[in-house]
Amino acid sequence: MSIITSIFNALPGAVAQGLIWGIMAIGLYITYKVLNISDLTVDGSMCTGAAVCVMLTIAGMPLPLAMVCAVIAGMLTGFVTGIFHTFMGIPAILAGILTQLSLYSVNLKIMGKANQALSVRNYDLLVSLQYIRNVPIWKNAIFVVSLFVIILIAILYWFFGTEYGCSLRATGSNLNMSRAQGINTSFNTVVGLMLSNGIVALSGALLAQYQGFADVQMGRGAIVIGLAAIIIGNAVFGKIFKNFAFKLLAVGLGGVIYYIVYQIVICLGIDPDLLKLLSAMVVAIFLAIPYWKKTYFAKPKKGGTKNA
Amino acid sequence: MKKLLAIILSAALIFSLAACGTTSATYTIGILEYSSHEAQSLAIQGFMDVLTEKLGSEVSFDRQHASGDANSATLIANNFITKNVDLILCDNTQSLQIAASATATTPVLGAAVTDYARALDVSLVSQSTGINVSGTSDLAPLDSQAEMITELFPEAKKVGLLYCSSEVNSLYQINAVQQYLLAKGIKCEEFAFTDSNDLASAVQTACDFADVLYLPTDNTIAECTGIIDDICHVTKTPVIAGEKGICTGCGLATLSIDYYKLGRQTGMMAYEILVNKADITQMPIEYDASCTKMYNTSIADNLGISVPEDYIPVE
Repeated sequence: MSIITSIFNALPGAVAQGLIWGIMAIGLYITYKVLNISDLTVDGSMCTGAAVCVMLTIAGMPLPLAMVCAVIAGMLTGFVTGIFHTFMGIPAILAGILTQLSLYSVNLKIMGKANQALSVRNYDLLVSLQYIRNVPIWKNAIFVVSLFVIILIAILYWFFGTEYGCSLRATGSNLNMSRAQGINTSFNTVVGLMLSNGIVALSGALLAQYQGFADVQMGRGAIVIGLAAIIIGNAVFGKIFKNFAFKLLAVGLGGVIYYIVYQIVICLGIDPDLLKLLSAMVVAIFLAIPYWKKTYFAKPKKGGTKNA
Repeated sequence: MKKLLAIILSAALIFSLAACGTTSATYTIGILEYSSHEAQSLAIQGFMDVLTEKLGSEVSFDRQHASGDANSATLIANNFITKNVDLILCDNTQSLQIAASATATTPVLGAAVTDYARALDVSLVSQSTGINVSGTSDLAPLDSQAEMITELFPEAKKVGLLYCSSEVNSLYQINAVQQYLLAKGIKCEEFAFTDSNDLASAVQTACDFADVLYLPTDNTIAECTGIIDDICHVTKTPVIAGEKGICTGCGLATLSIDYYKLGRQTGMMAYEILVNKADITQMPIEYDASCTKMYNTSIADNLGISVPEDYIPVE
């Protein structure tokens, strides 16, 4: 097998998986970058989305409707975190951790057990590991998930351009100033968290279909992967992509890069016990690059001595 | 800086994918190992041993480990399909689900996977799945295990059933054992825990409640037998374990299936599929027929219990 063909063969799987996680990262971007809070709910809401989608599909609901319900369930989890944070005054990180913890029980109850299969043989799923090769283009997992990413970005771009969307962004950039302008910041925070977790749940629903099951453990560590995608996307495309829509795209692509690197690690046969360490190191390096650039490689400003 | 990064990344990409090449052996088998677990490793070892004995250098194994992460497992499965392996071996429910999702054609065998119907969302027709998946199950006869409790402790009134709530097969076993015990008029209580963090308190509560504890074949329990032993040693609560590994760590007795043998059994199934072109869709799920009653000598000494003759010491 030549190198070129093996490149074409091995990558699509990683790209599809990366795009699904890219959707998750776009959801996280809304809280992490736009609202400027770290929301740990995502570790639980990802599984909630998967669980709701899987259980409703098995119960006979049409898949698109089941996915809509999954998104709504995800938004509810965001609502709970939002209430914890704004109404009950719990710090955002802690509020997210509390919701995430309770979601473990909720997800178990939704599924009735720890793991529920959703086989592509029995149901007509949107995406599956099997839909990577030898399927028509409109059924290809990469195509389907890309479509999701593009539509999602378009909707978010429109939304954050509206008057209300602007007030949401303002809430994230300067809470006190926004309040001074008459913006209901608590309400906006709750809406932002709901939006974010709804998107995360959507990615969970896609992931469950892609891998063929929902598992109560599946969202564990999701936030790290999401942050990695945001950071990698920003480090690689930050200079080229200035527009908000492109920034979201960069996040999605960040997820793809993360999974391509991951696939390479697996292909290389590096001791898999070290995988977690490696992914933490990848994130740390991508985080460090912008900082190093600023500290060690920045050119001194002109007129520095004269103005001193 | 950015360009440099891009160059390094793409270089890494090309070199690594070159490393993904295939080997010259007639049969390549991908082994998708989900998490490090003594019993599962033994099964994989047995699988590899029997195939090496039978096929020698004709078979090559690509054994990859997912560190308990479904995302890594998915990428590994993707890697196997890309490399066109002849067969994929999986070691637990999740890896079996992922491999079954990844391919409708490549044969997928499970070694010591507990419940195929549940894992794959299929109904078994005369023990075969009807799809490209088959394998061996590590389900020791649960009624015999429950019987062991009544045999060793005829006086027991209350049995505590401990399991990890994130493991789907544990609940299945607990329910089966509970049904049997309830029919005998023994009171049962389930004690679920989430992970190793709240295991200790669950064990403590269970020991306070129960005369005897039953632990199913559960990966989290298998990883944390030390904690359970520390608590049960003090309260002098005897433990009946679902498998040998747990019994060695903290159990008084177990009805043990031999994972190595089960792995060899799986290896023979692989041989049938690869060499004799057997149809995997019609191959029945196999079980270990020969269970042995085993007991842990040091724990029996601590409890002051002497076990019947037919129990052999677990090493």
